Amino acid sequence: MKYVALVIPVLFLALFVYALVKRVKIYDCFTEGVKESVPLVVALFPYLAAVLMLSELFEQSGLSAALTSFLAPGFRFLGIPPEIAKLVMMKPFSGSGSTALLSEIFSAYGADSYIARCAAVSYGSSETVFYISAVYFAKVKYKKLFKPVLIALTANFVTVVFGCFLCRFL
Amino acid sequence: MNGIFSVVFIISCILFLIWNPDGFLPALLSGGEKAAALSLSLLAVYCVWLGFFKVLERSGLAGKLSNAVYPLAKRLFRSDDKDAISLASCNLSANFLGLPGAPTPLGIKAVEKFCAAQNYYAADMLFVLNATSLQLLPTTVIALRLSAGSSSPSDIFLPTLLATLLSTLLGALLVFLFCRRRRRA
Repeated sequence: MKYVALVIPVLFLALFVYALVKRVKIYDCFTEGVKESVPLVVALFPYLAAVLMLSELFEQSGLSAALTSFLAPGFRFLGIPPEIAKLVMMKPFSGSGSTALLSEIFSAYGADSYIARCAAVSYGSSETVFYISAVYFAKVKYKKLFKPVLIALTANFVTVVFGCFLCRFL
Repeated sequence: MNGIFSVVFIISCILFLIWNPDGFLPALLSGGEKAAALSLSLLAVYCVWLGFFKVLERSGLAGKLSNAVYPLAKRLFRSDDKDAISLASCNLSANFLGLPGAPTPLGIKAVEKFCAAQNYYAADMLFVLNATSLQLLPTTVIALRLSAGSSSPSDIFLPTLLATLLSTLLGALLVFLFCRRRRRA
């Protein structure tokens, strides 16, 4: 896995050398790009705050646990081990929350167990849908997100089912 | 989003009232705290990648990249706005390479451009592609498994790749099928 660490420095090096050859004023240009980051974060902040508060409420109110136990039979029917149902419920809301859950599962069942492998695949192949929707559409007025969010959630859920199925063979 | 927010918020609020009224405000505050901390770290990440991308743009490489994928991207996003396609294709490549934090600022700008041209189909498509995760190497998971003492931490690579591929294709297909009417480009 060592070569992964090389990707980023190589990208920067290649770009900066290329830019030098093309006589780009790198310093001026770089700072100009950095300048855009402040308004971007300011625009994001309200949505970030709302989604993160919601994910705390979802988790700490016990709603997440209640939904998980309510849906567990259905999950089992689809081949998703009930142990990772919580992870599947958590992932759309919070990246850090689901990372914590994933390492809990690893230490509880061992990193090489079937459950841990299912959890790893579900985690790796899905995304924090609500967070991404909040962030990507933060700067536009268009907020009719029901359909795309539903599509993303559906695709991610189908993938979890498929991933758990794959883990039995691979 | 308004519906989801209200429903989850109200149900959680009721549950807090029944079981644990003292926990309600701390939960909200810890969400706010996380948002504040996260914005700071996002600011740091965006500084790096927006600086990088500006150089990429100015050197003409971004244009070359988008020219290369233009015929494909034009169909995928139903857009002929070169700037937006360049942003979107950089966003997708950054995703694919798994550069942490790099896709987001590019994606936000691309969505902004697509929406300005009233091409909501493209915005939806880009969002769904991002939200179904098309990362080549699940680096976080592999690192976590390694630290949890797995004997072969990267053996989840193949199932994750296949599953990710499925989710991305399925997402794109669903957008193609259900978001078509919004096209007004």
